[in-house]
Amino acid sequence: METKDQKKHRKKNSGPKAEKKKKRHLQDLQLGDEEDARKRNPKAFAVQSAVRMARSFHRTQDLKTKKHHIPVVDRTPLEPPPIVVVVMGPPKVGKSTLIQCLIRNFTRQKLTEIRGPVTIVSGKKRRLTIIECGCDINMMIDLAKVADLVLMLIDASFGFEMETFEFLNICQVHGFPKIMGVLTHLDSFKYNKQLKKAKKRLKHRFWTEVYPGAKLFYLSGMVHGEYQNQEIHNLGRFITVMKFRPLTWQTSHPYILADRMEDLTNPEDIRTNAKCDRKVSLYGYLRGAHMKNKSQIHMPGVGDFAVSDISFLPDPCALPEQQKKRCLNEKEKLVYAPLSGVGGVLYDKDAVYVDLGGSHGFQESDEARPTHELVQSLISTHSTIDAKMASSRVTLFSDSKPLGSEDIDNQGLWMPKEEKQVDLKTGRVRRKAIFGGEEDESGDSDPEDDEEMSEGDRLENSSSDETEEEEDAEVTGKVYIADKGAKRQKFEMEEDTEIDLPAFADSDDDLERSSEDEGEVEEADESSEEEGSSAGERDILDSEALEKGSKHSNGLSDRLNLEKTMKKAALTTSDSGHCTAEEAFASEDESEGNSSLSTEEMDSENEAFMRKKFPKPSQVVSGEKRGSESLTDETSDIEDLLKEEEEYKEASNYSTETSVTEDNEEDDDAREELGGLFRVSQPARECKYKADSLDCSRFHLDVPHDWDLEEVMNSIRDCFVTGKWEEDKDAAKILAEDEELYGDFEDLETGDVHKGKSSLDTQTEDVEEEVKEEIDSSAEESAKKKHLDKKRKLKEMFDAEYDEGESTYFDDLKGEMHKQAQLNRAEFEDQDDEARVQYEGFRPGMYVRIEIENVPCEFVLNFDPHYPIILGGLGNSEGSVGYVQLRLKKHRWYKKILKSRDPIIFSVGWRRFQTIPLYYIEDHNGRQRLLKYTPQHMHCGAAFWGPITPQGTGFLAVQFVDGTTPDFRIAATGTVLDLDKSIKIVKKLKLTGFPYKIFKNTSFIKGMFNSALEVAKFEGAVIRTVSGIRGQIKKALRAPEGAFRATFEDKLLMSDIVFMRTWYPVSIPAFYNPVTSLLKPVGEKDTWSGMRTTGQLRLANRVKLKPNKDSLYKLIVRQKKHFNSLHIPKALQKALPFKNKPKTQAKAGKIPKDRQRPAVIREPHERKVLALLDALSTVHRQKMRKAKEQRHLHNKEHFKAKQKEEEEKLKRQKDLRKKLFRIQGQKEKRNQKSSLKGPTEQLK
Amino acid sequence: MATQAHSLSYAGCNFLRQRLVLSTLSGRPVKIRKIRARDDNPGLRDFEASFIRLLDKITNGSRIEINQTGTTLYYQPGLLYGGSVEHDCSVLRGIGYYLESLLCLAPFMKHPLRIVLRGVTNDQVDPSVDVLKATALPVLKQFGIDGESLELKIVRRGMPPGGGGEVIFSCPIRKVLKPIQLTDPGKIKRIRGMAYSVRVSPQMANRIVDSARSILNKFIPDIYIYTDHMKGINSGKVGCPLPAPGQATQRQLEIVLKCPMTMDGRHSVRWLSITQSSPEPLITSPGFGLSLVAETTNGTFLSAELTSNPQGQGAAVLPEDLGRNCAKLLLEEIYRGGCVDSTNQSLALLFMTLGQQDVSKVLLGPLSPYTIEFLRHLKSFFQIMFKIETKPCGEERKGGDKVLMTCVGIGFSNLSKTLK
Repeated sequence: METKDQKKHRKKNSGPKAEKKKKRHLQDLQLGDEEDARKRNPKAFAVQSAVRMARSFHRTQDLKTKKHHIPVVDRTPLEPPPIVVVVMGPPKVGKSTLIQCLIRNFTRQKLTEIRGPVTIVSGKKRRLTIIECGCDINMMIDLAKVADLVLMLIDASFGFEMETFEFLNICQVHGFPKIMGVLTHLDSFKYNKQLKKAKKRLKHRFWTEVYPGAKLFYLSGMVHGEYQNQEIHNLGRFITVMKFRPLTWQTSHPYILADRMEDLTNPEDIRTNAKCDRKVSLYGYLRGAHMKNKSQIHMPGVGDFAVSDISFLPDPCALPEQQKKRCLNEKEKLVYAPLSGVGGVLYDKDAVYVDLGGSHGFQESDEARPTHELVQSLISTHSTIDAKMASSRVTLFSDSKPLGSEDIDNQGLWMPKEEKQVDLKTGRVRRKAIFGGEEDESGDSDPEDDEEMSEGDRLENSSSDETEEEEDAEVTGKVYIADKGAKRQKFEMEEDTEIDLPAFADSDDDLERSSEDEGEVEEADESSEEEGSSAGERDILDSEALEKGSKHSNGLSDRLNLEKTMKKAALTTSDSGHCTAEEAFASEDESEGNSSLSTEEMDSENEAFMRKKFPKPSQVVSGEKRGSESLTDETSDIEDLLKEEEEYKEASNYSTETSVTEDNEEDDDAREELGGLFRVSQPARECKYKADSLDCSRFHLDVPHDWDLEEVMNSIRDCFVTGKWEEDKDAAKILAEDEELYGDFEDLETGDVHKGKSSLDTQTEDVEEEVKEEIDSSAEESAKKKHLDKKRKLKEMFDAEYDEGESTYFDDLKGEMHKQAQLNRAEFEDQDDEARVQYEGFRPGMYVRIEIENVPCEFVLNFDPHYPIILGGLGNSEGSVGYVQLRLKKHRWYKKILKSRDPIIFSVGWRRFQTIPLYYIEDHNGRQRLLKYTPQHMHCGAAFWGPITPQGTGFLAVQFVDGTTPDFRIAATGTVLDLDKSIKIVKKLKLTGFPYKIFKNTSFIKGMFNSALEVAKFEGAVIRTVSGIRGQIKKALRAPEGAFRATFEDKLLMSDIVFMRTWYPVSIPAFYNPVTSLLKPVGEKDTWSGMRTTGQLRLANRVKLKPNKDSLYKLIVRQKKHFNSLHIPKALQKALPFKNKPKTQAKAGKIPKDRQRPAVIREPHERKVLALLDALSTVHRQKMRKAKEQRHLHNKEHFKAKQKEEEEKLKRQKDLRKKLFRIQGQKEKRNQKSSLKGPTEQLK
Repeated sequence: MATQAHSLSYAGCNFLRQRLVLSTLSGRPVKIRKIRARDDNPGLRDFEASFIRLLDKITNGSRIEINQTGTTLYYQPGLLYGGSVEHDCSVLRGIGYYLESLLCLAPFMKHPLRIVLRGVTNDQVDPSVDVLKATALPVLKQFGIDGESLELKIVRRGMPPGGGGEVIFSCPIRKVLKPIQLTDPGKIKRIRGMAYSVRVSPQMANRIVDSARSILNKFIPDIYIYTDHMKGINSGKVGCPLPAPGQATQRQLEIVLKCPMTMDGRHSVRWLSITQSSPEPLITSPGFGLSLVAETTNGTFLSAELTSNPQGQGAAVLPEDLGRNCAKLLLEEIYRGGCVDSTNQSLALLFMTLGQQDVSKVLLGPLSPYTIEFLRHLKSFFQIMFKIETKPCGEERKGGDKVLMTCVGIGFSNLSKTLK
């Protein structure tokens, strides 16, 4: 073993190592080349080919420009809305934990239960709205549309799951938000190497899906059920510094991710019909684009609505003030999540929400400053006054049904519906107004509640704090106003039982007086509880009146006041029957009420009511007159009055609708409302005249100027180039200024600044000596300003000079966009929000409250805060429905192909809806041919009846949104191409016919049409036989109905089938069914299933499809082919040579009997002899055969020997010949030599 | 469940064009009631019917319902289609009446519009085609609607009452419009004009030119007024006159019966012409007129025009008077000032509204009643409000008070344009 000799080391002569050594060696020898080849050998790198040079230049330029994005105007607001962070992942991956950790990281608060979006302040300039996204595909689709950043959680121990890929694909379709992967469950790896491998594998897969280099975060392990602080901190930092590129859909549409929902429906309506349509208000940050009032919105999962009202609220989670601070104070780290029961003090239009949890206690309100005790008392009462009032009842008559506040309150606007109970854990007190559905009924019968309420009432009565007083004052003031309205409405009331305005609001009605008396009697009987409730009722009535009155408060003139004072006495007496504790207030605060009306109410109500366009003062006065008139002759016939009223309505309609008056922009219902109290008395004649006047855009003069006068002419002198120019545009001035500028510039250099000071300054100095100090400073300032101006101008000049020629088209475009963005920001900056909202709409970043009417009750009843509520604004005519064409491709991961006319769920724009698409493909001639199924790996067109969405919008399609399948769910993706109402999709229709008479190339064909008229329509059409002979339809024939004459390029056979290819237009089914997944009961929201496909229906009903018999597959049976005999004509036969002539000799017939030879019957002896001979011959034959075989063998051997001999002989001969030739050759050589020698010798 | 965009309701036939145009652009149906309901001759007039028919021609899938008396009109707009269209306008109004609305709609078609309009090119009521060509097209160009195909060509001139003029208008389509900032009208550098005469002595035009120049020369020397004398077929129709106002009761009443929208929706409207006007003795429609345009250094065009009375109506007008009055009208227009002249105010405001969600500004002269109403309509159709700041003229000798209109566009995009 030891002896085995080692292989000797061989030096490397090539390869990197050898090179290196060689280089070192050369360097050692001072021969190495430090400079690169380019320098050493410039010739080798010189331009070889101009073309190649140009090409390479082109390429680099192409690559450079490819990186450019089309510049867009930056429309992000100064105070942007919180960034929507969607935390997405398969179940059990750690989404909720991550959200909790993130919230704790930013706010130092711990939220135990997270429902709905949570808004937190993450930095000085950034807020985040974090929302969790489950695996329901509805939720995934909705959230992908609003997400700014997606945290995609991936279980590293398991790998990618379908949901992740589905979500990525959804994101891709609806604009790609930023996506950040987060790997969790990394602690389940035991070995480090395995972990590393898994990380790498997942990372690379993630990169292929998102983009190479996409950020992937690793959350290594859990500590006490939470992720590690440092890692979460890092993740948070990444989120806070992230930059976002605007997404087209999101920037062009306003949208809201609602973080609060309230039901504002009139409780009475709910009581009478639990399934009535609701009125809800939704709250959230406005994002995307500006939103206008009364615009159309879509709520994914619910449907389309028109915004009935929108208002902005103070930011509940405001950014910390712009201060020079390095980091956020602990106090400013805010969190706002009303659906999870976290939030500060919230002020609504109609409610105040107090939250005492957390470090932030109370914020001041402008209207009421609650003292500490008050708040405490508020907290201690678990139901609010309004709620108590609402649930308390009063009986006016002994046998009548008790009246509740909901009977009185027919507006329902001021009473919020809260379906969330008071959250005792967080200590948050809300105005619990239990009116909705079952709660309402139970609440009424609950004795405990009643007690509590009475308690609260007493408290209210006794406390008599400022706010209450104020409110009362306002209210009483308005009662009177309402009274008049009530009088006007009285007649309506009698007709219309729906308006349940309490009769006792009226002062001088006998009937009501009596009722009041009765009420009084009853009151005495009732307990103290009742007392409280009656007071509450009065309150409600008052505030009801408040609404009515406030609408017209502005327009009320002095006359109104007069009237009021006149009626004061009567009123107090009438009211006394009712009021118990607050009676005193009413009488005392009458005058106050009036004033408060004009001050307090104006502020709050002004906006709403200005929008309602109440009539002009003069009209109001007349309306008042009208009211008083009706008051006087109230005993007159009701019928008459009604008629009159109608007339007035008509008149008012005229004035409001026609373009002459101010009111024409209002909707119909608003008009009705207006007409409810005041009548606009404008002569209808005039209106009519104006309404139907000439429609002309020319601006005619009423008083033309006299252009012959000099001063008139002078008034426009400067409009012409010949006139005087402005300071900054006058050429002479500019020249002079420039000179001055340069002069000054020189001065600057020498340090003499004051030379250029204007004479004005010196003058002022001379005149006003005593204020010299000030002047000095101002002069200094002006000098400074001038200096700065000069500098700026110089800089501009330099810039202009420097930049000239450098700017490309792209730069110009970018500059233009930038300028526009600056202008957009600056234009309305100085205006207050109220005005701004009017001009540009509600801008993104505002916290808004949106009221929506006619919402299905299921939305409220089945409200689940875990599901996102999105309000997506719709652009113009995006609310309408029409035909939409798409470019569609079946997703390559989807296992089935899609069938035309199978209902499918699309997600386009904000919407998710089911529709019936038709798939088509465009032929080369532009024909759109119907396809039965989508192609496997190709784009095709699709057309459906559905909502109009702008072209270029991406979409995706899924077949079902209910249930889960292990397979990939996204069936197809694509873009909207066109919104043409006249789309024409055709399918092929082959008409067949049969020839019944054939001439040369002309045939008569029947069976293709039914009448001559049909034929006439197709004259000249191309037809073809199955065998390929082409032809044309010529003319209809008379004989069999529908037959025609046709010509072909060849003669037909009777067996030919003639067909014609035609195209038949198919209509797109007008089926559009929004996916109303949010209306499903809680816990079943992912079970929405719409229309089923025929396949599903068949499966469900066990209906077997009856196949066409011809389409069935059968065993192929080949028949034996029979060939007929060849028939050669006689003439041809004759001409043929004999060889080819058919040999038609008749077969030898039967030999006749007489020719048949008789059989030979041998004798026994003969037979013996014959047998012997046979035997002998057999033996002989055998012998002969043997002999033959032997001979054969012998012959073979002989042949072999002979061959051998021959070979030998040949060999011998060969040798001999060789010998002979050799000798011959030698001889010849010799001869040659001698012959060569000969002449040389001769020469010598 | 997508609720059809809630419709708007109006009464009276005034501003019919505005309402229908805005309805088409916004996609909101509109119902107009009581059209001349108390008139002796109720319902839509011929020219309005012609306008509705024109709308039907250029849109696809529109639904128009008119009641028996023609006093109520329901219009549910379809998509703007465009393409090559021909339309015979009513001779009761000028082509300008139709063209003004077409200018509003043309950039938002599916296919570029190329339309041949026949009728009265110049009349006393509507802005003439000359003026629109000189002033409205530059306004369109400001919004990025330009190119070779933006063209307005007067092939034939036709004067009232006979008409017979022909105009070709073509306009390219745009997906989005540019925002504008027109706050400085600049100074007038030249005045151009067109004096035309149809079926009268060619000398008329020259007389107009002379008198107009006499006024304008006091302000600026750069004046050139072209004379345009049309002859033969190009000078309009020798047509039958209109029935006299009293006769108009038996006008052609078009009634559209409610008919279901067809699949393609292109021809959803069935027009039933009830009466045909009986042949009348042929008369010629001669006339002459002048249109003046002042161009500023910043590309603003201000215009004025006057036309002679149509034959048989009113007293004869002297060409000298006409020229002088027209020049004064131009001075009046200059006095009003602004970056857009008074006839095109509404056009500019509409395009500002339909712009991207950016701030647009324009300086206008005093708002015409038509524009004021247009602003109201814009508010009801698009929920847009303009910021209106008055700029008092002050010391400068630059005419009357100006109005600075500012708005943020609604982010309108052309839904008809096909994506390829």
